[in-house]
Amino acid sequence: MRNRLQLKYLPLRFPSLFPLILLLVAVTVNAILQPNLLELRVMNGNLRSFLPLMLVAVGQTLVIIGAGIDLSIGAIVSLVTAVLVTNLLPDSPPLVIIGVVALACAAGMAAGALNGFGVAVLRLPPIVTTYATGFIFSGLALWILPRPGGSMPEQLARLYRRVTPLNIPLGIWIALILILLWALFRHTRYGSYLIATGGKPEAAYATAVPVNAVRFGSYVAAGLFAALGALVLTLGTGSGDPRIGVGITTTGGMTLDSIVAVVLGGTRLSGGQGGVAGSILGVIILGLIRNIISFADVPSWNQTLVDATIIIVALAAPGLIGWIRDRRRRALPPKEMVQEVAG
Amino acid sequence: MRDGFRLSPTLLAVLLAAGLFFLGGIIRPGFVNPSQAINIVRLAAFLGIIAAGQTLVIISGGEGIDLSIGAVVTLAAILTYRINAGQNEMVLPALAAALAAGAAVGFVNGIGVAALRVPPLVMTLGMAGVVQGLILSYTQGNMVGSTAPIMSQYISRPLVLGIPGVVFIWLILALLMWLLLERSRYGKHLFAIGVNRTTARLSGVHVPLMVILTYTLSGLLAAFGGFILLGFTGVVFLNLGGPYLFPSVAAVVVGGTAISGGKGSYSGTMAGALVLTLITSLLTAMQMEDAFRQIILGVTLLVLISLYGRQRGLRQ
Amino acid sequence: MDEEGKMATPPPVSLSAEHIVKHFGGVVALADGNLDVQSGEVLALLGANGSGKSTLSKVITGVLEPNGGELVLDGEVVNFTSPQAAQKRGIAAVYQELSLIPDMTVAENIWLGHEPLKWGVRIDGQAVRKRTQELLALFEGTVQESLRPEEPVSALPPDERQVVEILKVLSLNPRLIILDEATASLDSRQVRRLFELISSWKEAGKAIIFVSHRMEEIFRVADRAVILRNGKSKGAEVIAETTEQQLVNLMIGDVAAVPRQLAHDPVPPDAAVRLQLEEVYTDVLRGVSLSLKDGELLGLGGLQGQGQTNLLRAVFGDIPFFGTIAVSGELVRFSQPRQAMRHGVAYVPGDRGSEGLLLSRSILENFQLPSWRRYGFPLRMERAKQDANRVADTLSLVRSSLEASAQNLSGGNAQKVVIGKWLLRQPQLLLLNDPTKGVDVGTKREFYNLLAELRRAGTAILFYSSDDEELLGLCDRVLVLHDGKVSAELSGERLTRSDLVTASMGAAQDNDRVPDREVAA
Repeated sequence: MRNRLQLKYLPLRFPSLFPLILLLVAVTVNAILQPNLLELRVMNGNLRSFLPLMLVAVGQTLVIIGAGIDLSIGAIVSLVTAVLVTNLLPDSPPLVIIGVVALACAAGMAAGALNGFGVAVLRLPPIVTTYATGFIFSGLALWILPRPGGSMPEQLARLYRRVTPLNIPLGIWIALILILLWALFRHTRYGSYLIATGGKPEAAYATAVPVNAVRFGSYVAAGLFAALGALVLTLGTGSGDPRIGVGITTTGGMTLDSIVAVVLGGTRLSGGQGGVAGSILGVIILGLIRNIISFADVPSWNQTLVDATIIIVALAAPGLIGWIRDRRRRALPPKEMVQEVAG
Repeated sequence: MRDGFRLSPTLLAVLLAAGLFFLGGIIRPGFVNPSQAINIVRLAAFLGIIAAGQTLVIISGGEGIDLSIGAVVTLAAILTYRINAGQNEMVLPALAAALAAGAAVGFVNGIGVAALRVPPLVMTLGMAGVVQGLILSYTQGNMVGSTAPIMSQYISRPLVLGIPGVVFIWLILALLMWLLLERSRYGKHLFAIGVNRTTARLSGVHVPLMVILTYTLSGLLAAFGGFILLGFTGVVFLNLGGPYLFPSVAAVVVGGTAISGGKGSYSGTMAGALVLTLITSLLTAMQMEDAFRQIILGVTLLVLISLYGRQRGLRQ
Repeated sequence: MDEEGKMATPPPVSLSAEHIVKHFGGVVALADGNLDVQSGEVLALLGANGSGKSTLSKVITGVLEPNGGELVLDGEVVNFTSPQAAQKRGIAAVYQELSLIPDMTVAENIWLGHEPLKWGVRIDGQAVRKRTQELLALFEGTVQESLRPEEPVSALPPDERQVVEILKVLSLNPRLIILDEATASLDSRQVRRLFELISSWKEAGKAIIFVSHRMEEIFRVADRAVILRNGKSKGAEVIAETTEQQLVNLMIGDVAAVPRQLAHDPVPPDAAVRLQLEEVYTDVLRGVSLSLKDGELLGLGGLQGQGQTNLLRAVFGDIPFFGTIAVSGELVRFSQPRQAMRHGVAYVPGDRGSEGLLLSRSILENFQLPSWRRYGFPLRMERAKQDANRVADTLSLVRSSLEASAQNLSGGNAQKVVIGKWLLRQPQLLLLNDPTKGVDVGTKREFYNLLAELRRAGTAILFYSSDDEELLGLCDRVLVLHDGKVSAELSGERLTRSDLVTASMGAAQDNDRVPDREVAA
């Protein structure tokens, strides 16, 4: 008889289990080192600094669930940042702001559409395709905004930094909205399509799932979320840096961080499984780890090493647990055998 | 039977490289001359050597990719720089130390991928961070040491007929890589695990061992690349290897090695390295602004990948 | 579909395929495919491997685009650009290679793409569950209790996946159903249930195209048969007016009928014991013991998924086990197949494409994969080629060259490569996992002769087959597995079809997998 509640099916049923445990550990350690961590003001500040990556990671999650990857997502953030700050002034009227934000979103989606075209229509491998388009986007960002600068509407930025509806940090509100949207999306036909496309594209295609359209759509959505990420990023800093999202391998680069957050959050990199909630937890975990390092008085030359080592261990931990479990299971005889020997 | 006539990717890349070279001559008269050609081959050699390990890892399949290569190149160069400290007789011990460090990083990658089932992309990206951290901790920001004269003499200066040593080193490496991939049990098993790991295991291939070995080799070859690169630059800095990371992937892919694994060659990678180096040199020669240079590099890459990187469609 | 979720009767259907042509690169898969089928009819599509059956059915369902010919549906020429387009017109297929998404649940898989909706967008979870349960009820008693709508498909054994696959097609309420080798991984009770369902579909006015290798099934269920040979259709026979022999002749051309029985050479009494198992346990096996002598062909029978594959894999070191396994009198505990190989053990897996072959690599590399070690460094390629050619000749493998890639081989030739790579190593113990599944009649006979030769040479063979006739015709002894245990050892006079079927159903009457009537039969 097969055991249907085996541990290996747990991640399928409760995808956010492992990141939740990690988050608990990170919060505890952080709260010990920084006792005021849970105060509203500190929490609001922390979450606001995680927010851009949170949005980017949501976009990355959609692409990864569809069995793709977007290495250009950081460059899209740069591009949209450049579009925003070169078109807005500290005293731009609301209508202009709305227009420019719409333009920025359109720019992000157009960038995503180029990725989607390469991957879904031309059927190019996602890693190299988005790596190549990343060059195009960061080149465009540099062309639009050759050096850091520009400005954002002051009132909007102030509002963004201060608002905490019902005394709950804005970051939590947005995270909850994102999770709710995902839950709704997951229970539409398109949610099923995305999972099916990432899980087994040939099978999905044979079942009349519009695989190419789903893939294309996931990249466009990632572009939109990157644009939203760029928006909150510039609102937080008040100006723009055309290289902000670039740097794929550098720790702190948005592309790498978004992928690490997605994987930490329990979404499988090969697609077909996972969710947005885990990635959001992943972003918070990543942020808290960096918080912990800065509060733990790690000498500055060693911070990168400590940071990267913790991340590697966190990424490897589920595998390590699985490896130990496999070894142990191999060492234990099955129940029937024990019973027969005993009785 | 071949399914129809198809240009081999390696040949295509070589033709492309030649085309680009003469295009350079049209755009900028004076681009086409022997010394420029030698210079380009020399530059391509560094990329080619660094991309050798990447070729193996990508052939091994299982979404294999080694993104720690850039950091390992830097680490190897810094170790060599510090250990040989300008003395010729310390070059070999320095090389040994650099190779050992690279192999160790690769070994950890292999363990993470094979035993702990971390996806290669994140495992090697994570290790890139760790190696970068190690470099910062080790140097504390001070680049102490110097390059032994013998290194630049045998690597970057003209050795025979005006051809620098690195080109000969590259050719020897190419021969070794061919033997490894086409004429050794390791190579046959490598392609096998790249195509289908279940079949490979059921035919007696020790898959985890192969994966660990392959990442270790990749680390080792990247470290060798770092050592060679130091012979060219003569100095070290924190981001020495970084700019070689994605070109190493791109060279492999442009050379016709399937990113999904199980198919490819090192000669393809060599041609890919030539193509990429030519494109970069051309853009530099045209004195293009950084922004446009990036855009053109991106577009060219996209075109190159579309030429033969296309995957099979769902409907035939 | 009406509100109770029952199938409304679809309008009648008639479809004919006329002179369909399909090339893959330079290879002609289908040269002239013709068939026609109407409401209330079961049409069998027959042919050896590589004769174009699957290609023709995929053209009909819009998965493949034909290079020539016409599809006429209800008197109108149609051109399906996607499976979706075919589905809209009421055509759906149960595929040979499964079209399920492993990480999605049974219910999600069945309703993928046509989920019942609430408010026009949201999937109606309750309706999905209810209708899935109604569909599952169709196979009640032939699947485990634990097959529930919310079960992930990756947790299901192959037979239940196939059942889900069938239900998925049924959920579309199609007018024309294509069953492409749909019975291949079902056990006999599930097949019987499927046939009951097919007759009810016939009555409901559906048309069915039934693709199968199993002749006996075709005579049980089909009304007419279209035979394909080398990509061309060879007539449409009315089943009631034909014989098995006539159909076989049409399939294989001039070649004479295939004798199923091979002469049994008795195993010499002094032959050494090659393999001995004592109380072996795995995830599935529950205390299996057996012993196998040199030159003996020991069959493993029973329903699918009763531990036969598990047993072979445990001996080959592919999965962990408890208990005792001795090869050539030496106690072994292999943790890797390569250790088993060093002891002269070879394993031919059940799924050629995904376990036996390196599809995109050359025939040479497939042959030599387990054996490269003996060619030194650098590899002596000429010798490797000579050895491979020798084995290929022994197997009369059809090939243009050893450099050709394995993916262009037909099913029978592909299986020859899988077997050939072990022959190169001259194994003393050969483990075969359903090696003739999906292999054409001609190759099967060659394969039987090969087994006889190997036995004469003293090779011990452990042979699992899902084809009962094959076990009865070839083996000296058959162990029947049921629920991870040996339920019977059949040999001599007890080696009969009825004994085999009875034992397959398990000995104990109170077993929940076996309804009483099955044991009585």
